[in-house]
Amino acid sequence: MAVPIYAAAMYLSYRSAAQQLELGAERDADELASRLAAELDAVIRPIEGGIRTVAAQLEEIDPPREQYEARIRGVLAAWPDVYGSTIAVETGSAHPGSGPFAPYFFRRGGGVAFSDLALDSYSYRTLPWYRRAADGRGPVWSSPYFDAGGGETWMVTYSVPFYRRPADAPRALAGVVTADLDLNWVRAAVQNAALGPIGMGWLLSPPGEESFVAPIGATPARIAAFDSSITEQTFRAAGERMLASGVTFDLVRGATAEPVYLAVRGLETLEWRLMLAIPRAELLADARALLERQLLLGAVGLVLLIAAISFVAAGISRPIHALAESVDGAREGAFDFRLPEARRRDEVGVLTEALRRMRDSLQRHIELRAEDLAARERLEHELAIAASIQQSMLPHGAADAHPAGARVAAALLPAKQVGGDLYDYFERDSGLLFAIGDVSDKGIPAALFMASVSGLFKVLGSAGELPERLLARVNERLAASNDACMFATMGCGFLEVDTGLVRYASAGHDHPLLLELGGSIEPLQAENGPALAVETPAVYPLTERLIAPGDTLVLFTDGVTEAAAADGSLFGLERLIALLRDGAGLGAPDVLVRRIVEAVTTHAADFHATDDLTVLAVAFAPRGVTPSRSADGEQWLIEPGLSAAGCREARHWTRQILAARRVAAGRIDDVELITEELVTNVVRAASEAGGASQLSLTLALMPAEIVLTLRDNGVEFDPLARATPNLDLEIAERDVGGLGIHLVRELADECRYARIDDCNVLTIRLNRNVA
Amino acid sequence: MTLKITVDPSSTPTLKLVGRLDTDTAPQLDAELNKVLARKGIKRLVFDLGGLDYLSSAGIRCFVRARKGLEPNGGTVAIVNPQPGVRKVLDIVKAIPAKGIFASVAELDEYLDAIQQQVRDQ
Repeated sequence: MAVPIYAAAMYLSYRSAAQQLELGAERDADELASRLAAELDAVIRPIEGGIRTVAAQLEEIDPPREQYEARIRGVLAAWPDVYGSTIAVETGSAHPGSGPFAPYFFRRGGGVAFSDLALDSYSYRTLPWYRRAADGRGPVWSSPYFDAGGGETWMVTYSVPFYRRPADAPRALAGVVTADLDLNWVRAAVQNAALGPIGMGWLLSPPGEESFVAPIGATPARIAAFDSSITEQTFRAAGERMLASGVTFDLVRGATAEPVYLAVRGLETLEWRLMLAIPRAELLADARALLERQLLLGAVGLVLLIAAISFVAAGISRPIHALAESVDGAREGAFDFRLPEARRRDEVGVLTEALRRMRDSLQRHIELRAEDLAARERLEHELAIAASIQQSMLPHGAADAHPAGARVAAALLPAKQVGGDLYDYFERDSGLLFAIGDVSDKGIPAALFMASVSGLFKVLGSAGELPERLLARVNERLAASNDACMFATMGCGFLEVDTGLVRYASAGHDHPLLLELGGSIEPLQAENGPALAVETPAVYPLTERLIAPGDTLVLFTDGVTEAAAADGSLFGLERLIALLRDGAGLGAPDVLVRRIVEAVTTHAADFHATDDLTVLAVAFAPRGVTPSRSADGEQWLIEPGLSAAGCREARHWTRQILAARRVAAGRIDDVELITEELVTNVVRAASEAGGASQLSLTLALMPAEIVLTLRDNGVEFDPLARATPNLDLEIAERDVGGLGIHLVRELADECRYARIDDCNVLTIRLNRNVA
Repeated sequence: MTLKITVDPSSTPTLKLVGRLDTDTAPQLDAELNKVLARKGIKRLVFDLGGLDYLSSAGIRCFVRARKGLEPNGGTVAIVNPQPGVRKVLDIVKAIPAKGIFASVAELDEYLDAIQQQVRDQ
């Protein structure tokens, strides 16, 4: 930035100096011109006056011709610069009797010589010096000419006509007085003129065939030094143009190799021109020298300035660099970087002090953070232990997760390391006690409260309480010392594995879902009691529901239904129901639980930010009954022993299953009766030769039909082939055999016998609804 | 499910059955019948089925046995108060003649009074 500004200043300064020099040169030219003019005039004006005086005298008096010599000699004597002079008289009609007369006296060898111009060969009246004056009727200067025959020098002639008025005649030309001026003195005068320190100059007569030229002062030497090919002609055309257009000073290019300033002046005397040529380089040499000096000074100054700036900047930037390097170490976490000790008073000092404060507070912060981290690690460690203790409170292991008559699976995913959800189940009194719970809040307080709830449940549950009483007692104990105002919801059920009866009570918990073997899903309706630890005494209404083998109860906490996706949509009960409806994992609670957990954690964008998630699935799976789902309904395979007990078992499950499906009581009786009659027959025949050793009964429940299929591997026997007993015979004559089959035929809508794979297969169909 | 038998030991013995009469419980009733039938001079035996929920062919055989025991000697067997399900089974197998089945004890008493009147009139 500084450099262009400086350069511009240099240029302006140079321009201004050059202008001054130009003006000076112009002034010099004026001065020289007027000096020369004055010098020339000093010589020429007196001569002009003298000659005009001679002419005037000759008009006054008409002296005799012999007196002319004296007058001419007088002129020569008066003005040493006059080379020669003559008085030439007019001849002709106006001067009868007078012949040509023109005595010419001129200087030669220190004396005065005579020449007669009126010789025949010299017809002076026709010569220019005579004619111009005569015709012009006034004094006239000739152009300079080289007098080759006479003076052998450059001459100029002043001619003044004179007139006379003879008696009775008009005024007429009487003759011409002349003075020849030797121009050597002009040349000498010009040569002696001071030209000024530079440039070349000439005094020139107007351009013509012959033109007088006098180099001024030291011009010849300077031409030789500058360019020896230069003559006055080099600038003559340009100078005449300038004169014609009134320009007195101009830069002329092209005339010489270098541009030249030309100053031109017209002198009044003899119309001479003064022409000065100054090579620009020379004129502006001083300006250039000045410029160079300034440039040099400027450059030096600039260098010094830059050095000074660098020095000052380095004084600031070096410590800043040092600071930056120190601070740079902090990138790798080394916040104990060293800072310069020197207390500077400038901005660097302020910056250093600020960095020092920053470093110190960073170090303090890091120390605090490290302590914080250690504390947190301790806490994390303790939390991990707490979590493992909490997990140990929950039932574990696949093997003991299947108490007789039921299959159970569960999952608990705490939102934090420890959570407030819980589940539990254990076998008791030919049944399974199970529960799921959700403590208000999350984290450690919830976990501690959960531990308390869990412990109470285990103790009181083992003591034989049934769900409604169990909840009431747990509530009592929790509410008694609940200063923290925590509470918990809990669902608690007891499954009788002999019957499929579920007793269920709820303390403000979500209703479990009952997933039936056939795929239908309904909430296990339970009237809710208050959440645990809220009020005492509290009543927990009991819900009883018979379920069939293969049915599954799904219990869950709100971590399932309220798991939120990124768009805020909750997982919801509908999604859970839809998931259960597709039938995968039927009768396999572990599969069911895994699928639910996967679905929920997939749905929830950031699962662990929400809530604890717990799922507990209890499937009813009594021994001896194998449930399965068929295309158009549900079916149960019952394999009774070939004994009275087996028969009882077959009847029991038939009845329980149909009751669980809410088949009308009378129809249940019918099916049980048929079962009894048929199974009894097989059992009775088993002890005989060819009797069956294996028996199975399949109970299939279709939307409109109940189908019993009895299959045994005894000898081929079609009970339907037996004739209908004659019931009208007197009692004494009646055979009691065949009554059972008769009953079966009467109660059933269709009976069929087939021998398949060496088995007797009896298929009995009944309308599901009693007609 | 079990069967509970109460025997009214009057001149007209009444066996009150509560529960289920099936293959499992029929031997129980057979045992009681043996005792009752062992007594001499019994003209009439009444089964009160008001509390009987279930009846299978095994139970019906008991009723047939009772008839076979009494009828050859001029005795009769009556059934009182059967529930619809039981009545249906009885109707199907016709183990007891329709005239021997009464909806209530009062109906039976009325019937018995009429018979006694017939005897007195003779």
